[in-house]
Amino acid sequence: MSEKPVVLKIENIKKRYRIKHITKKPEGRSEKIKAAVKSFVNPNANKEDFWALNGVSFNVEQGEKIGIIGKNGAGKSTLLKIISRITEPTDGRIEMLGKISSMLEVGTGFNTELTGRENVYLNGAILGMTKTEIDAKFDEILEFSEVGKFIDTPVKRYSSGMFVRLAFAVASHLEPDILLVDEVLAVGDTRFQKKCIDKMLNIAASGKTILFVSHQMNTIRQLCDRVIVLREGTVIFDGDVEEGIRIYNSEAYMEKQNHYDFTELTRQPGYNLDKAEILSLDILQNDSCIYAPDEPIELKLRIRTKVENIGDMSFRMLIWQADETPIEVCFTDTFANINTIGEFDVGITINKHNLGPGIYKATLILSGGTAKANSENLDYVYPAFVFEILHANGTSQSWPRQWGWCHFDDVDVKLLSDGDK
Amino acid sequence: MRKTVIEPNGKNFQYWKDIWHYRELAYNFAKRDVTVRYKQTRIGLGWAVIAPIINVFVMTFIFGNLAGLSSDGSAPYYIMVYAGTIPWGLFSKGLTTSANTFITNAAIMKKVYFPRIISPIGSAVAHIIDSMISMSVLLVMMFIQGYLPSLRFLLFPVFFLLCLILGTALGLFLSSFNVKWRDLAQIIPFAISIGQYLTPVAYSIDSIPEKLRLLYSINPATGVINAFKWCIIKDMPFDWTSFLIALAWIVVLIPLGIHLFRKTERTFVDIV
Repeated sequence: MSEKPVVLKIENIKKRYRIKHITKKPEGRSEKIKAAVKSFVNPNANKEDFWALNGVSFNVEQGEKIGIIGKNGAGKSTLLKIISRITEPTDGRIEMLGKISSMLEVGTGFNTELTGRENVYLNGAILGMTKTEIDAKFDEILEFSEVGKFIDTPVKRYSSGMFVRLAFAVASHLEPDILLVDEVLAVGDTRFQKKCIDKMLNIAASGKTILFVSHQMNTIRQLCDRVIVLREGTVIFDGDVEEGIRIYNSEAYMEKQNHYDFTELTRQPGYNLDKAEILSLDILQNDSCIYAPDEPIELKLRIRTKVENIGDMSFRMLIWQADETPIEVCFTDTFANINTIGEFDVGITINKHNLGPGIYKATLILSGGTAKANSENLDYVYPAFVFEILHANGTSQSWPRQWGWCHFDDVDVKLLSDGDK
Repeated sequence: MRKTVIEPNGKNFQYWKDIWHYRELAYNFAKRDVTVRYKQTRIGLGWAVIAPIINVFVMTFIFGNLAGLSSDGSAPYYIMVYAGTIPWGLFSKGLTTSANTFITNAAIMKKVYFPRIISPIGSAVAHIIDSMISMSVLLVMMFIQGYLPSLRFLLFPVFFLLCLILGTALGLFLSSFNVKWRDLAQIIPFAISIGQYLTPVAYSIDSIPEKLRLLYSINPATGVINAFKWCIIKDMPFDWTSFLIALAWIVVLIPLGIHLFRKTERTFVDIV
């Protein structure tokens, strides 16, 4: 098989922004004059260089679908802006083959005074479509948008759902060779979002080259066959999707640590902590917070009661995936019947978690009550702690998602009949 | 396949080809400008007729009746004023929209690439449409008045476009400063309302004393507006001095304006 042509060649792209510092206000007349003269003579004196992109290079072959991920401020959007020629790089070079279109936003240039139909033509033209192209696709766009008979109504009278549906419909009917997409699939209701993703999958299947920026790892999984992870303006990973997502997740999480102090943590509304609160959490026996699949997780919690006679106290623990997918819940037994005010240490050991390899975070909920019936939630900390589960072979390779996030064990298998002949 | 190269400092040799490629967008911008202006109004484009007429009669009253100035040639005063407001409108609107183009279109320009000059070109086309409506009103007035134009009238499109080009080029020149210092957006409308009185819009250039005439003609708009009036008013002499000065302005401002505009468009989204 011959190698596919490189359609996008990005060489050492850098982008500098100048940020202004606020300096101390000058005091007194002579100081003020001095400062004014200084800023006039050298206007860059209080400015600092910030490199949003600091030497990004990669090649894209025809038909590749690349997911670009990274924390906020990693440079993803700046990179797309430079590739789509909205702003210039400070240094470096990009070569592209074919027609490039970008969907950095839906509804760019929509004018609310104009009707849906007028906006389709205007927006189409802004995105680089010709009138003939739009004419040919108009019915398809209209059908996709589900705007129906409102197409000749001014867009200002549309519901916000209709507006984004129409906007996405136009943008998704572009036919470029290279498509740049920046987190625009999360529009409309769930059903329409699915339709958007299906549409993107169709575009992807038609062999177009796609660069896709998103924080939705599930969409990245569906759409991309390669992932680039950016951190502070540089590429820290380029390759396999699952591996990239794993790196992103360990990036996106707060640092794994083995002591957590919750006294400064803002609780959700409804938790005024007037009866009891969780003060801190320590992870015992494991400094790295990285566990083998069968290794127990040992925690020590410090709690404080503020009223007498709270009664039976217990914990509830929720385990979440990186993208906030809930995985497991456990309810502990009552650990004490506390009738005095004071601080207490509580130990929790998770002997068998059944979690597949990956990075997880946990919520802890403290509840108490004199009887089961009037038990109430007293404190809720999220994220309470972060940990990673390794593969059975001790590596942190990615785990095929089709395998799920928990694993069964204790499954009995036995032969129920003899070999019938 | 089309190859695109992105490098710092805008070494983009396809720019002019791109402009041609995006010509439909200019048309769409123009169409948007014209449509939106008269949407949800009862008389629609009628406003393009009524507004200038009212303006003309106010100015005729002030300059012709109160100040008692004389018209150009034998033209009725209000016809002369009308003939002055059309090119002035083209000049001032071309100037305002192109000077503000980076700011008014920032939302689009931050999200989509197109040669940015398409935006002022689109607005300019919209101004042409507006002014053509005024132009037909002027013709109707002239017929009613029985003041028929001479053959010179056929030259009006030349001066019509020169006014627009001059205004737009000056605007392009200013647009790059406007991005950095928004003060300009405040100054421009102010300068335009004063400029109207420093330009032979509502009075004849003959009202200016001979010795001040040269100084007065340095105003770039003077020459083109006077020349436009010349093709409407059949017995008005052509003022070569002011026209040549205006031409010189155009020759200087077009390349300078485009150069500065292109320099700005490359990174303006970082500061707007």
